[in-house]
Amino acid sequence: MAIIQTSKLYKDYATNGVTVKALRGIDLTIDRGEFSALAGPSGSGKTTLLNIIGGLDHPTNGQVTVNDILLNEQSAKELARIRLNRIGFIFQAYNLIPVLTAIENVEYILLLQGVDKEERYQRSSEILREVGLGDELHRRPQELSGGQQQRVAVARAIVSQPDIVLADEPTANLDQKTGAMLLDMMHDLNKKKGITFLFSTHDQMVMERAERLLHLVDGQVADDEWKKK
Amino acid sequence: MKIFFMIGWRNLWRNKRRSLVVITAISLGIFSMLLAMGIMNGMNNQMVENTIKTSLGHVAIHYDGFHNDMKLKYSFKPQPDIMKAVKDNQYMKHYTIRVKFEAMIRSSEASQGVMIMGIDPENEKKVSSIYQYTLKKEGSSFLESPDSDEILISTTMADKLDLLVGDRLVVMFQDTSKELVGNAFTVKGLFETPISSFDKYVVYTGINTLQKMTGLENRISEISILTNKKEQVDKAAAQMRSELSGNNLEILTWKDMAPSLVRSVALFDTMMYVFFAIIFITVIFSIANTLIMAIMERFHEIGVMKSIGTRPSWIGSMVMFEAVNLGLVGLGAGMAAAILVISLLGATGIDFGFYAESMRMWGTGTVIYPSLKTMDFVVSALIVFANTIIAAVYPAMKAARIKPLDALHYV
Repeated sequence: MAIIQTSKLYKDYATNGVTVKALRGIDLTIDRGEFSALAGPSGSGKTTLLNIIGGLDHPTNGQVTVNDILLNEQSAKELARIRLNRIGFIFQAYNLIPVLTAIENVEYILLLQGVDKEERYQRSSEILREVGLGDELHRRPQELSGGQQQRVAVARAIVSQPDIVLADEPTANLDQKTGAMLLDMMHDLNKKKGITFLFSTHDQMVMERAERLLHLVDGQVADDEWKKK
Repeated sequence: MKIFFMIGWRNLWRNKRRSLVVITAISLGIFSMLLAMGIMNGMNNQMVENTIKTSLGHVAIHYDGFHNDMKLKYSFKPQPDIMKAVKDNQYMKHYTIRVKFEAMIRSSEASQGVMIMGIDPENEKKVSSIYQYTLKKEGSSFLESPDSDEILISTTMADKLDLLVGDRLVVMFQDTSKELVGNAFTVKGLFETPISSFDKYVVYTGINTLQKMTGLENRISEISILTNKKEQVDKAAAQMRSELSGNNLEILTWKDMAPSLVRSVALFDTMMYVFFAIIFITVIFSIANTLIMAIMERFHEIGVMKSIGTRPSWIGSMVMFEAVNLGLVGLGAGMAAAILVISLLGATGIDFGFYAESMRMWGTGTVIYPSLKTMDFVVSALIVFANTIIAAVYPAMKAARIKPLDALHYV
């Protein structure tokens, strides 16, 4: 079942009077439960595609749907609601809210969704324990290592059971060992919980673990490689 | 919303020094304004209290029309029903009767228009403070009985008429039969009240003496009443008005007798609140500046919050709460400091002796005891709250409008 569908997706940027074509007619379908990665050199359009799928950017042309919801022409408020309820984000630089503790960062999403206090705490602490941070619930981001912060970010992304988790170069700021552990953990979550992951990366480790690898070149899908299905 | 209040609070302490500078500015502003209000309240209170204690009392009963034209013809007999209504009034603490009218006094050096008051010295002591204001040195002393044919004058008048205790002066007036009467009095004592205009105009003698001289017999000009509490004057007056209706009497509270005093107190209060609001307009810019700097520093972070699903209005609320927190901390600190200092000064008083003459003109006394009213706290809290909200509107809108993608790329 398709979670993400893009149809003839174009994105142009005007920089200093020069138009840069970041995406050139991308047709893509991501099904529920996939563990896929967008790979390609810098400027190939990976992050742009991820941002459009995540409702953070609008395409110049074409359509994108998340779980059959057409993102084009949604208001800022509606896009915020879709991002909150249907999409989980993991960023390269962790991007946790620094004044909140690990559990508060995870609870934040549930709180915005209106989940009651008890359930919020129970679900957040359980997820944090699953990602191996059961003893760090009340530490603030600056008291955690990079790997631990990225685990909190993963917990935050999956706690609301979104349709898809979009991870933009999640291992870029981590050493190899920590990155590998994090990827294994996400792969595990994909298998156990059926969470759909879509990465943007040029990290070999991510590409190796991805079950489907979409190679982007000059804003187009040059190769769609299924390693497992 | 609680989470945004909490984030707003924690954000406040991320840059402690900057927040503390703004909080200090707010609290200093509040402290200075409350202190100024406290001093103004002290002056107003003392002005009112001194006027009440010196002459007006809380409630006065006159023959109808006396207050506007203090002539002997507006006198009345203190009939038993009138005295019963006064004595039985549940709010009455003390009362005294007086005869008073305008007259002229002459010494060998000069003459002066005055208000002469015939008093019962023992009862007067309980109602007014003229006994306390009478000097007890160099032969000066208070009147001893209602039959006293001696006179009390102020030190100001004594200087002007070149009189000393024991000197003689002549009081001239029209008696009840419109005859011009002149009587000699010996200066028994000198007084000095906190109100210079009172000292320039009022003299005292025994009530029985005046009644005989004027032909009033047992008629009086005024019953002056002190209530247990100043707040009871309206109830006390209303009760007496209902019991004494049909007697051709005017029953006036101190506010009826001194409307200009009431108006000036209200005017001073309003002016202080307006000054407070004007001064705090400057604080708006300080808060707005701090919030804009904080938002620019957290541009990326706000982008992340928006990208994970935080609505623009929630981001705006977070900035609003941050401003409110700034205001509340400043308000709390400023109020605490003001309460502490004003309590201390309220006990010790502030001596404005170097402005003694001006203070006597206002009737405040030279030592001012600052005090604060509940309304001062309410108004200052509202002003600070309104100012912080106004200050936060632009930064909150700016934060709410941040585009997540722009912010995510911002380092």
